[in-house]
Amino acid sequence: MEYAQKLLEQIGLQGRRVQMINLSSAMGGSFAEATKEMTEKIKELGLNPLREKATVEK
Amino acid sequence: MIVAEQKPLAEIKTLVADAKKVLVVGCGTCVTVCFAGGAREAAITASSLRMATKLDGNGKEVADVTVQRQCEWEYLDEIAQQVGEVDVVLSLGCGIGVQAMAEHFPKAWIVPGLNTSFLGLPTEQGVWAERCAACGDCILGLTGGICPIARCSKSLLNGPCGGSENGHCEINAEVPCAWQLIYDRLSSMGKLDRLLEIQPPKNWRTSRDGGPRKIVRPDLRLASEEE
Repeated sequence: MEYAQKLLEQIGLQGRRVQMINLSSAMGGSFAEATKEMTEKIKELGLNPLREKATVEK
Repeated sequence: MIVAEQKPLAEIKTLVADAKKVLVVGCGTCVTVCFAGGAREAAITASSLRMATKLDGNGKEVADVTVQRQCEWEYLDEIAQQVGEVDVVLSLGCGIGVQAMAEHFPKAWIVPGLNTSFLGLPTEQGVWAERCAACGDCILGLTGGICPIARCSKSLLNGPCGGSENGHCEINAEVPCAWQLIYDRLSSMGKLDRLLEIQPPKNWRTSRDGGPRKIVRPDLRLASEEE
């Protein structure tokens, strides 16, 4: 994961766009939390500059 | 094996800056096992280049392919067409592979994606260390299988220098003193007396010091290629 984040930094993207968390199938609540957190983090970082079309999804 | 490591992406970008179409060529032997230029690394490098150059506003078409060995003509023949279709070829082979491609495809511009470092082996997973200097006149039979040319910082042939301290080399505490290693090994095998034999001065002409080297095996040459 650190390697992938380092690669992204070298490329010019923010490494924080890639994260890894550990969950089991019984942890539905934690999954929802993690997804919400990640979505907010990404919104802070802004759209991926490599994307052709700027579509903002709710 | 030949041990190399990848050049920083920033340097690779300058090497391919003028091109619109790039072919990244990996190699399936030495650089695969030192995780510098195998198929996986070729794919990652191609992908990184595509993304980075697009972010820079200088987007390129980058494809990748990996050949079994970049240092033999027959394996290069397989990618001749792809090489002809691009502006620059980024070789992830060792220095030999880069040059083989340059020789075999004289109309193509080949640039190196790796820094070829040394001949060595993995002492543990993820760590490679130099072992051989390719001197052309191997004396490992005299030194218990430890090479003083490659592993002694000064390539001394007659024992340790005054800088050998507690089995370490004075230039770097992490480098073992090669002569300490040789001494320990020969004495553990009861063969220390070998070091008492007087050896003639080493003939360095067989090493890089004698100029670019070549080996010819008449028994292996094809009749059609002999003069």
